[in-house]
Amino acid sequence: MAAAASLLAAAPLSAIFETWTWLLQCILTVGLVAGAAVLTRTLRFPTWAQAAGMVLVLLLTLTWIFPSHEELLGLIPTPATFNHFGELFSEAGNDTRAYGVPVPNRDGLLFIAALGIGAVAIVVDMLTVVARRPALAGLPMLAIYSVPVAVYIDSVPVIPFIVASIGYLWLLVADNVDRVRRFGRRFTGDGRDVDVWEPSPLAAAGRRLAVIGVAAAVVLPLIVPGLNTGLLNQLTQVGTGGGGTGGGPGNGRIDLSATLSGFLNTTETIPYVKVTTDETDPFYLRFGVADALNKDGFKARTPTGRPISNGLTSPQDNPKTDGGEYQRYHADVEITNDFTQSLAPIYSSTVTMDGLDGSWAYDQSSQVIFSNRTNVRGKKYSFDYVRAKYTPDELRQAEQLPSDDPNIVQFTTVPADPTVETLVQKLVKNKDTPYDKVMALYKYFSKENGFKYSLTAAGPNGDVSAIDAFLKDKSGYCQQYAASLAWMAREAGIPARVAFGFTKGDTRDGKAYVLTNRNAHAWTEVYLDGFGWIPFDATPAASVAGSSRSAWAPDTDQVETPSASSSATAAPGAASSANASTAPGAGKDVDAGGSVTGDAATGSGFSTTAVLVTALIALLIALLLVPALRRVLVRKRRHEATVPTVAAASAGPAPPGSLDVVVTTEAVQAREDAHAAWDELVDTMLDYRVQVDPTETPRHTAQRLIHEADLQNSSAAEAAVLLGTAEERARYARQPMRGAALTTALAQVRKGIAATSTRRTRLTAVLLPPSVMLRWRLAIGEASTTGMTGISRLRDVLIRFSPRRLLANRAR
Amino acid sequence: MTTPTWDEPGGPLTNDEFRAATDAIIANIEHVIEGKGATVRLALAVMLAEGHLLIEDVPGVGKTMLAKALARSIDCSVRRIQFTPDLLPSDVTGVSVYNQETRDFEFKPGAVFANLVVGDEINRASPKTQSALLECMEERQVTVDGTTYELQAPFMVIATQNPIEMEGTYPLPEAQRDRFTARIAMGYPDPRAELAMLNSHGAVDPLNALRAVADASLVRRLIATVREVHAAEAVQQYAIALVNATREAPEIRLGASPRSTLQLLRTAKAIAALEGRDYVLPDDLQALAVPVMAHRIIPTADAQLNRRTTDTIISEIVHRLPLPHDRARNPYDTRANGDGRAQYESRGR
Repeated sequence: MAAAASLLAAAPLSAIFETWTWLLQCILTVGLVAGAAVLTRTLRFPTWAQAAGMVLVLLLTLTWIFPSHEELLGLIPTPATFNHFGELFSEAGNDTRAYGVPVPNRDGLLFIAALGIGAVAIVVDMLTVVARRPALAGLPMLAIYSVPVAVYIDSVPVIPFIVASIGYLWLLVADNVDRVRRFGRRFTGDGRDVDVWEPSPLAAAGRRLAVIGVAAAVVLPLIVPGLNTGLLNQLTQVGTGGGGTGGGPGNGRIDLSATLSGFLNTTETIPYVKVTTDETDPFYLRFGVADALNKDGFKARTPTGRPISNGLTSPQDNPKTDGGEYQRYHADVEITNDFTQSLAPIYSSTVTMDGLDGSWAYDQSSQVIFSNRTNVRGKKYSFDYVRAKYTPDELRQAEQLPSDDPNIVQFTTVPADPTVETLVQKLVKNKDTPYDKVMALYKYFSKENGFKYSLTAAGPNGDVSAIDAFLKDKSGYCQQYAASLAWMAREAGIPARVAFGFTKGDTRDGKAYVLTNRNAHAWTEVYLDGFGWIPFDATPAASVAGSSRSAWAPDTDQVETPSASSSATAAPGAASSANASTAPGAGKDVDAGGSVTGDAATGSGFSTTAVLVTALIALLIALLLVPALRRVLVRKRRHEATVPTVAAASAGPAPPGSLDVVVTTEAVQAREDAHAAWDELVDTMLDYRVQVDPTETPRHTAQRLIHEADLQNSSAAEAAVLLGTAEERARYARQPMRGAALTTALAQVRKGIAATSTRRTRLTAVLLPPSVMLRWRLAIGEASTTGMTGISRLRDVLIRFSPRRLLANRAR
Repeated sequence: MTTPTWDEPGGPLTNDEFRAATDAIIANIEHVIEGKGATVRLALAVMLAEGHLLIEDVPGVGKTMLAKALARSIDCSVRRIQFTPDLLPSDVTGVSVYNQETRDFEFKPGAVFANLVVGDEINRASPKTQSALLECMEERQVTVDGTTYELQAPFMVIATQNPIEMEGTYPLPEAQRDRFTARIAMGYPDPRAELAMLNSHGAVDPLNALRAVADASLVRRLIATVREVHAAEAVQQYAIALVNATREAPEIRLGASPRSTLQLLRTAKAIAALEGRDYVLPDDLQALAVPVMAHRIIPTADAQLNRRTTDTIISEIVHRLPLPHDRARNPYDTRANGDGRAQYESRGR
């Protein structure tokens, strides 16, 4: 039953995986684990043996399902198996970064899923069957639920969670029914002093609790601000969503900035484009360019150009832009009905176009396909494009353009802004080539410099004040990053513009990438002589879904392979591009000459999920350590109490050198010291599971401690007797014992008990001291009793005003 | 000669003097009674607590021997009464006889007019005769024919009796039992002690060789020392709690009296003093609970049917009752803690 509940709990994972292979494997794993549980229980193994059996079976199952082909008999794991598991782990780690949801069947991910669910099944089983605490089993289940929630950026489907919660409820109900059955038959409460519409007081209480719980769960998120998905926010934000998507078919001039922020700030996810390409790791799909910069920021010019029926030009054919290594690919694009731009999304450097009629034209300069009469809504088209690969060294050869070059004239005009000017001067100092200058600016937007991604940071416009604000606050989203980089590049005398489009996307439908409003993106394009317009994406890769990085502009926030990236980008000529792309990508499945390198994968190494998980684990460990810490603190305080407070007033002859000796002048002080020492001794006994009997006198307790903990003939025995005598004198004698080395005695007793107790007891005494736990439990119990008393008193008061009281009396 | 009264027992002894005196008495008695150290100490403690001792056991285990040895060790007046079924109260208390010379009634003191009265086989006399001891044991005086005669100090009754199941016994009335501070049982000696007994008792009666090691005035001073022993409030509360527990226990029909509380604490003081302490421990009370209280309580019919003796009932109460303490209550251990903790916690903060 616990196993089935665990399986149901795994339902939310269905949202993550594309296929159902994982389900089969998980059913298998959980089934085998449950079988092991039943078997060990039938054989009446002790609890630890049951747990060990289940873990063993889980291990065997995993070995069987994910073989490294080096096992004995195909089942018995060998060290190689564990190496294999380790590889699967790292593979899964890479996959989690490389793939968006839903993921395909990757071995690593399947392994993680099976392992996780198997482990949860074990924990749930132990909690429900052994510990009979089914409510606690919700915690490991919750861990499963949280996976899809963490993985999905926006909302997650509801149904699997309902299934999962049904599993949990089933577990609770089954356990309670079982518990009630142990008492015999169940009664509905008829014949007792209960109203007819209340079948039993217990059930009524349960219902009330449930209603309160659900109400709290619904109301709290509404009240608490900052939850963007909250109902209230949704209500208030309706309408802003698709606001910018229009632009009108007749007017080619579109406010791309507004469109972009509109896309990104919409709360729901709307698929816009479905694109299939034979390129393994495509760069961004692009539909617009903003290259006119004035005080209001980057704006798109009205595109002009020849109809596409006249053919497109390839950058390869132009000597000014044929630098780099070109490869030709084919792509099919399908636009959904929700996307109504008059600009067609294409990959850059499109060379042929199919499926669009004569109303579409190609702007040579900005490389966009546009229409003045219609839009792309529902269109399907395909095109061929060339993708250029550059290496930093190649790009470094690009010369500074002459000042009369049309590109310089057109794309380096900037409004005067002293802040930007000084900043750029500072950054590009000592940089010779345009590429190095751009890289210097590009790297400026790293996390190290305090930049962080935020969708809510600034206004949608990239105007002067906004750029200033962004450079000052260092918080913004892709548009601010792109516009700032372009602006600063222009300031440095390098032609630059802002491109708009979609990232690679992280959602897949078969082979096609499904691009949604979430993937809308803006980046910078820089014109380098001999190469043409080259994209630079300064936005932090970790914050943009499906973002990718190029060899010439690696992720600045990446920290894991500093040698490779720095040698490839910063140090001129230090390393070849081959090093840059293969060194960090070793062992990963990147295509050999890939310029979109593995750097992108490792770039988001510190994804929020990982950080969260780490933090959770740390928190858990910290929580576990709290009792131990508390114990240590209590002991310390008591030792302080027993350690001499050397009396200042009466200069008593303090024995030199012996810190442990109590040299209090007042009997009261000595008494307290003895009490403190005794309390510590009692707690120590509790910790080491020596019975503490409240009917025993200190003398008896000490004797019994010596007997039970087997302390005879040791200094610990004397110490225990000393402590007992000190305490009884403190309690009952006229004069308490003075000058006894209680702290030393305590340490001796502690050592003595520890020496004779089992390892398990010792571990418990250190990690989860029973004395602390017991005290907390009792404190909680007392608090709840007080609370309940208060509530029942309140209830009595309320009942006095209840008319039902009269009814009941009349009925009688 | 001034007769010392109970209120002026004499000056207390120092610790060493006390120890020397009591050790001498105990050693003296142990010449006769082999291997019964605890019983002997208890007997002495009862004496020092100004109480009366009831020794109950089967015939032949040395009850009378203990009583006589204790009496002989102290150089004071000792009277022995053999309680027989035809013994009359006047034999115990004394009687007024007509003196022809003075032509007046003259009081002939009975057996109780002594420092130590050994009442042998006390439950073989009829309750009527047993009751003659009531006044003298509690009030240390005898009233005959309207005249009250004070008894000497110290005054102690050491009675022996056979268990109630024995033939020809009359059970002591509750009032009489309540006057005895402690009831102790001799118990059979262990084999080694019995062998030693065979050797020593074979030739001569060791009782005859016994010399007194103390006199009445020393005993009075010993008593005064015991009175000085400190009983902390916690200990007093524990004594009260113990006695109260017998009154509330469901298997007891008649609980222990307030007199027993008093005697419990007094005896505990004596025990503490014998151990060289000047303060009473709950341990002392625990050790004394059975001897002091078991003979006073009357178990319910149910408890009797279940063959539960008063001894087991009392010792169960002792094991069940948590120690009181003058510190605030500790949640899990009533003994360890509270006040002290609160104090040093506040110090810590």
